[in-house]
Amino acid sequence: MKDVILVQRRIPRCSESENQRKLAELRELARAGNYNVVSEVIQTRNPDRQYQVGKGKAEEVAELALSEKPAKIIFYNPLSVTQVYNLSEMCKCEVIDKFQLILEIFASRATTRRSRMQVELAKLEYELPRARKIVSLLKMEERPGFMGLGGYEDSYEQDVKKRISRIKKELSTGQRDSENLRGYRHSKGFSLLSLAGYTNAGKSTLFRSLVDENVEVENMLFTTLSPTTRYLNINGRWTLLTDTVGFIEDLPHFLVDAFRSTLEDVFRADIILLVVDISEPVDVIRKKLAVSHEIFWEQLEKATIISAINKADRLSPEELSSRLKSIAYLAPNPVVVSAKTGEGLDELKDIIYSHLPEWKRFTLELPMSGESMSAVSWLFEEGIVHSINYGNTVVMDVEARNEVYHKARSLEKRLSFR
Amino acid sequence: MERIIAVDISGRHRHNSRYLMVCAAVSLSVSGGHVKQIHGVNIKPFVSDNPPEVVDVVQMIERTVEGMGGVIIVAEEGDLFNQPEWLSNSMFTASFKYPESLSERMGIEIAHHISLSSRNLLLDPRSWEPIKDNL
Repeated sequence: MKDVILVQRRIPRCSESENQRKLAELRELARAGNYNVVSEVIQTRNPDRQYQVGKGKAEEVAELALSEKPAKIIFYNPLSVTQVYNLSEMCKCEVIDKFQLILEIFASRATTRRSRMQVELAKLEYELPRARKIVSLLKMEERPGFMGLGGYEDSYEQDVKKRISRIKKELSTGQRDSENLRGYRHSKGFSLLSLAGYTNAGKSTLFRSLVDENVEVENMLFTTLSPTTRYLNINGRWTLLTDTVGFIEDLPHFLVDAFRSTLEDVFRADIILLVVDISEPVDVIRKKLAVSHEIFWEQLEKATIISAINKADRLSPEELSSRLKSIAYLAPNPVVVSAKTGEGLDELKDIIYSHLPEWKRFTLELPMSGESMSAVSWLFEEGIVHSINYGNTVVMDVEARNEVYHKARSLEKRLSFR
Repeated sequence: MERIIAVDISGRHRHNSRYLMVCAAVSLSVSGGHVKQIHGVNIKPFVSDNPPEVVDVVQMIERTVEGMGGVIIVAEEGDLFNQPEWLSNSMFTASFKYPESLSERMGIEIAHHISLSSRNLLLDPRSWEPIKDNL
């Protein structure tokens, strides 16, 4: 584990609890990036153009860096190229901001080719507006070998743009494939469920409890980066449950866009399970829910939101009901659960079932024949068979989606006329 | 269920050397994910020679929501020049907040369409079509 120093510039008159929460989030992010926080520097003031924090504070950070010898200094606030340059010159140490840290974490967790491309795209989009400045700063101490003489600000920027468009093209082909896959899943009668919510709310734990499987679960931000999809049987109906990457506050648009494919599963689902960590302070929950709603507002197509109020086992019943009351207007269709103890999972399944696209229940009578038997096995696969009686004819009580209903009815007609 | 007044102002840009603005306020009952009921709509046009400042925006909103009952006013951050919420809230006599839930954003979208279309209507009286007797 490498050592790091965290720096946060706080906005004057911003509430103390909010500042604390933001710093705690940065601490968690650093931990997720496999860093050890050795020191934290805080200053409350308006931003400085040269150093983000005041010059005196920047010098203090430099002294601290000299004694602690950290691998990196991580700023909570977004840094401009000039600020990064000035700070790294002063501290003689690599200086990054929160977004670069997030990119680093994403890069280290990206396992598939697609997610690696997305990370590269996010990096390039982050770099693009800075490309010219980076080159002009490098030119200040120009040395032989750095691309020779001339206006290479433009050519460097052009290179970045070209790489961006190439990656986007490749990603869009992949996107079409996944859209087809989703269409196929729908046509096969699967309803799509997605787990969404703030990072570290317990989405993966809930996923594991629901599908009864060992998915990587850790008390760390961004444990899930590539979406995992599994079958989930809800009162006889087969659904596909997808675990997705968690939301994070102030996530810049270039990151949200770059990770669209991981979030796309959320937006294209029939039902979204919005996981809420109820054990956190009420104002934090409200803020996180507001962020989730904001992301839904921009992207959501047609989906029902069910709020899974998680980590209920950590609170007393009185505390739980008072918290539920104060967040009620932000939590549609709330169900109290504890993914850890399994409490409330049956209620959650019931409410999911009540919101699934409607299926038809009907009685079917087929004559005894080989063809009927294959129809019976087809219905067992495609729907829920509530009862079946073998006599002179086969009488079935079946529940299935509309297409299957119509197909079964025409089959019944055809077979009985023989 | 929560009662809110969603507000939006259209036309905060110069038009024929003046600022012709329309403020729309929609009173709604909302749950977390849905708009349950719309109780009423107020529209008020405003004109000014100078670009509106924050205090003007606050005044416009307060004048428009007059008589709509004592509930919380919700408007977009951009309408209040992206001020912090506590500062905007302190400028209003009624309770005020920025949108949080999907339904509150939906309310603002309704108010936005109302204010925009009302402004277009006021700006172009020539588009008013006469109804012929034989129709």
